[in-house]
Amino acid sequence: MADPIPAETDPVRAAEAERFYSGAMERVRRLMVALCLLLSAAAWWRFGPRAAGGFVFGCVIAFVNFHWLKRAIGGFADRASGAETRQSGQGIVAQFLLRYVLMALGAYAILTVSPASLNGLLAGLFLPVAAIACEAFYEVYAALARGV
Amino acid sequence: MGKLSKLFIALSALCFAAPAFAQGGGGSEVNWVAIAAGFSMAFASGICGLAQGKATASAAESLARNPAARPGIQLALILGLALIESLALYTLVIIFVKVK
Repeated sequence: MADPIPAETDPVRAAEAERFYSGAMERVRRLMVALCLLLSAAAWWRFGPRAAGGFVFGCVIAFVNFHWLKRAIGGFADRASGAETRQSGQGIVAQFLLRYVLMALGAYAILTVSPASLNGLLAGLFLPVAAIACEAFYEVYAALARGV
Repeated sequence: MGKLSKLFIALSALCFAAPAFAQGGGGSEVNWVAIAAGFSMAFASGICGLAQGKATASAAESLARNPAARPGIQLALILGLALIESLALYTLVIIFVKVK
């Protein structure tokens, strides 16, 4: 029996793999929303409303931070590849640095308003890492089960 | 010497000056946890900054060499930078837990 055609030489499978991996960023975004809802409900049930509120606030900061990171890198990639871009270099750098200001303001606000929610806020900041880990597991599963 | 270099030198001098103001009175014990926390955050931030710079430089070089590979490079760069940033956050969380 002949060996199956490897994915990298089969154009149909290569196109399927490319389609699958190009949707990774959108899947990470959806996973972040799903994990935020799921884990904030779990935090409410286990630690109470203050911790859950802090967690949701941390998730919002992490989501905005990730979105701005994506936009900044899009602008950077435009400039690096010589494509047409609407953003100036200073704008890209400002947006990249503004993310840290946003995180610091969020932490300051939660510290002054409700210090009890700080642990929730810190946990919420790890939302992108959790979403990326879930995506990595899903890609491993897809590679093993579907061969993409 | 650029303005930015002068600014960084002044800021680092201020970092060394801060503990001198804190040394007042006699017999007070040194808070080693806070000092270690400051150093660990500085190390984490510095090394994460270096790692982000290396990742970004490699991505820029790859994009300049092969613009057609942009989607894959961009995805890897976004995920890489998010994960590198999370390492500094881990340190911050450990500091909050230990210093609190």
